[in-house]
Amino acid sequence: MSETTTATSHAAHNGAPHEPPRRRHWLLRAGWPRAIWMTGAFFLLGFGIVVGLRALLNYEPVVDWHVIIVAAGLTLAPLGFLTGLGAFDYWASYAIGQPTKPDDHSAHGAYSWKDYFRVNTDHKVIGIQYVTTTIFFFLAGGLLAMFVRAELARPQTEFFDTQTYNELFTVHASLMIFLFIIPAFAGLANFVLPLMIGAPDMAFPRLNALSYWLLPIAGVMLLSSFFFPGAGAGWTNYATLSVDQPFGNVFFSMAVQWAGASSIMTALNFLVTIITMRAPGMTFWRMPLLVWANFTTSLLVVIATPFIAGSQFFVLFDKIMHTNFFEPDQGGYVLGYQHIFWFYSHPAVYIMILPGFGIVSEVISTFSRKPIFGYRLMALSLMAILVLGFSVWAHHMFVSGMAHYLRVPMMVTTLLIAIPTGIKVFSWLATLWEGRIHFSAPMLWALGFVSMFVIGGLSGVMLGAVPIDIAVSDTYFIVAHIHYVLLGGSLFTIFAGIYYWFPKMTGRMYDERLAKIHFWLTFLAVNATFFPMHLIGIQGMPRRVATYEDKFANWNLFISISSFVLGASFMIFVYNMIVSWKSGPIAPANPWRGRTIEWLVSSPPPVFNFDEVPQVVGSPYEYGVKGARHAILNGDREGAAELEPARTT
Amino acid sequence: MRRGAVVALISIALVVAAITTSIAYFVDWLPETASEEREGIDLVLWVTVGICLFVFAIVASVSIYAGVKFRVRPDDDSDGPPIHGHTGLEIMWTAVPTVLVTIIAVLSAIVLAENDSAKGKPMRVDVLAQQYAWQFTYPERGGVKATNLYLPIDRSTKLVLGSRDVIHSFWVPEFGQKQDAVPGIVTTIIITPTKIGNYRLICTELCGLGHALMRTRAIVLSQSGFDKWARQQRQGGGGTSTGGQVDAKGLFASTCGGCHTLAKAGTNGMVGPKLDDLSLAPEGVRQQIRRGGGGMPPFEGQLSDSQINALVQYLTGSSQ
Repeated sequence: MSETTTATSHAAHNGAPHEPPRRRHWLLRAGWPRAIWMTGAFFLLGFGIVVGLRALLNYEPVVDWHVIIVAAGLTLAPLGFLTGLGAFDYWASYAIGQPTKPDDHSAHGAYSWKDYFRVNTDHKVIGIQYVTTTIFFFLAGGLLAMFVRAELARPQTEFFDTQTYNELFTVHASLMIFLFIIPAFAGLANFVLPLMIGAPDMAFPRLNALSYWLLPIAGVMLLSSFFFPGAGAGWTNYATLSVDQPFGNVFFSMAVQWAGASSIMTALNFLVTIITMRAPGMTFWRMPLLVWANFTTSLLVVIATPFIAGSQFFVLFDKIMHTNFFEPDQGGYVLGYQHIFWFYSHPAVYIMILPGFGIVSEVISTFSRKPIFGYRLMALSLMAILVLGFSVWAHHMFVSGMAHYLRVPMMVTTLLIAIPTGIKVFSWLATLWEGRIHFSAPMLWALGFVSMFVIGGLSGVMLGAVPIDIAVSDTYFIVAHIHYVLLGGSLFTIFAGIYYWFPKMTGRMYDERLAKIHFWLTFLAVNATFFPMHLIGIQGMPRRVATYEDKFANWNLFISISSFVLGASFMIFVYNMIVSWKSGPIAPANPWRGRTIEWLVSSPPPVFNFDEVPQVVGSPYEYGVKGARHAILNGDREGAAELEPARTT
Repeated sequence: MRRGAVVALISIALVVAAITTSIAYFVDWLPETASEEREGIDLVLWVTVGICLFVFAIVASVSIYAGVKFRVRPDDDSDGPPIHGHTGLEIMWTAVPTVLVTIIAVLSAIVLAENDSAKGKPMRVDVLAQQYAWQFTYPERGGVKATNLYLPIDRSTKLVLGSRDVIHSFWVPEFGQKQDAVPGIVTTIIITPTKIGNYRLICTELCGLGHALMRTRAIVLSQSGFDKWARQQRQGGGGTSTGGQVDAKGLFASTCGGCHTLAKAGTNGMVGPKLDDLSLAPEGVRQQIRRGGGGMPPFEGQLSDSQINALVQYLTGSSQ
């Protein structure tokens, strides 16, 4: 079937959603009631298996709650939830030989708010599900950070006992990394990437739905770890401290599995979508940089994420199955954990920033009204970061006691990454040069990102130099650095993306004035909060402590107050989003006069994106080129004939 | 590019560089330098900071100039010139950072190699880290043990680190050098103190509930002062003693204070029981210190009999 006919047959479905031919009883139908009872049923199944096996094998005690919680509570019950919600229905029918319809679109699109709370195969609905869910976890993680700063406002212990405090910063970091930054990028790309490449949806819509629904599971698991103490070894969860933690550490280990599985599935989906579903004429060198960025990120995710899954399984097995991956007195190797962990977690740094690079490239080009400077080098530098990113993990371990000869090579590769990163920064600046710059909210966030990321990148160069790293590792200097790159970096790009595509996603405009206040408040508060951390870190304040020496008291009080302002600034964002989504002015199809394909369709886009497959005829960034077109859509072929031969590949 | 733009760019860059450099230079943001290794680290730090400020000034000047100069009103819907790239510029901003990071890498590698090698034959000190206390053993001084790290000035010391339970990390900010103590393997660092003084020694790797309070002191003495201290320890039996007498309060603060709160000793550890609230019987206390239990590690063999006696006396005399 040609793509054109697919699109046309989709158009026929644009009316009301399909009713399933045969209505089952409401408890048996895919949805929340079935999800609830199946969660319970699967838990009981797991309980039965564990207790049954233990009784059979004469293990004492027969009812071992630790094993039951891991097997039944954290593994089978979530599977029951997904099954009940209907994530596996189509595949299950197919597998047992029931009739299935390949172009069954009954689960596609959102016609009421309820459609956002079910297994939905529309990439735009999934994108919005992703973004709203991740913002919820962002606020939860932010609240935890407020608790951490409240505790640190004065040198003594004030509000929390040490175990709770350790769990606060552990869960804060884990939520922000695994349930905000990584999936928020996946969500934004989910919405815009298929539109940008002219595809009707992602390559595997049902897999896409499944990978979204794994996220709330992981998030609830991380948050519920507060009721089972033990996730207090930092987000790095280093062995052997993690193995020695109270039982609740398994909540962290398992939450990482669910979030990681979600990441891997989405990445596979992006890769196949980008490789196979580009519209005719969309060569690799005509892809918008956001698509390039998600292509490289997805490669990183697919290759690296299994390593963190492995490292957390090892910790889990050491805890409940008496394996000995890490306990040295029984033959374990403590540093092994760190090597495996960082082999994922360093590439993860790029997983958390490359999609942001993509967003920022789109925004800066659009709001400077200029082509992106050095497009090919921009794409190639993403690939360079991808390759180098796998050869630098041990720079997190300069003081760990690993083999000394590893340090200099890892330092060299680390410093080399500054080169492609520098190319990107300089190219963004060159894109601004002689542009017609509009300081709308997305642009403010994008430029705010560039300035914050330059500071974070330069402190990264300092950390790359081994002697400096030895002196400041595990201090607040590190805390400052990661917050400059992840908060000033990744978070700013996420806001740039949300404001940029808000009109496209919701069909309404946000309040520009509130968005600007939000930006300036956040920008100032980020610097007031995190810049002084460099100083107290260098002077000797270690990270992950609830009490500290009195001489750091003044700075910490200042940092805490700034952080509360930072926290408050996000309330403006939440208010703006909710009110604008409900009653903002109706958005035009292309409020920013952007050139990529998502701006050629209505806001919000039609359920199946395109009535006709777009024909790509040129680069996406031809601002200022008279008569240049990126894509031709909806039969609008005016001027296309003389343009097509001129295209470059 | 017009000449006016170049002049403007350079002057903004100079202003930014002047401001940031004077902040870096005049604000006292580095810890005191008390070891040769720290001197090397500071050298790398200053060179790298200089390079960073240079890059920052360029980026700041371009973005400030562009933001002011190329800003247009919202109703301006013209496009900028279609500049797609410039090979010369792109080669330049690939080449210049390459040179800069090469400078940093070469300097770092040299300083690292120097910091890894001792001056002459180093004195060996065995460091045992455990939740949540440090213990230092001097094999060349007849196995003297201490809970503070005593070092002679101007002599390289090789610290041989081990851990009993989880990963800890040894750091004295004024010495610069940091090294994890990892269970199951032996790690080493070299420290050559250059200044007599009393410095903070802290654990920087999250090691559990008492991590924040796993602190003690590093004390640098003159060579003769150090010899005298070591001699006294061998005769008197250890501790942070003065003239053979065990300083029980100091010993409590450095060994037990990471976990236990005791008003009299000024400690506020939150891991173990608050000793102010307990009525302590001498035999119970002695057993607990020797054998450990209830989460507390055994201290027999780490503390000498006279140290344990002094602690028992200090504790039971204090909280009846």
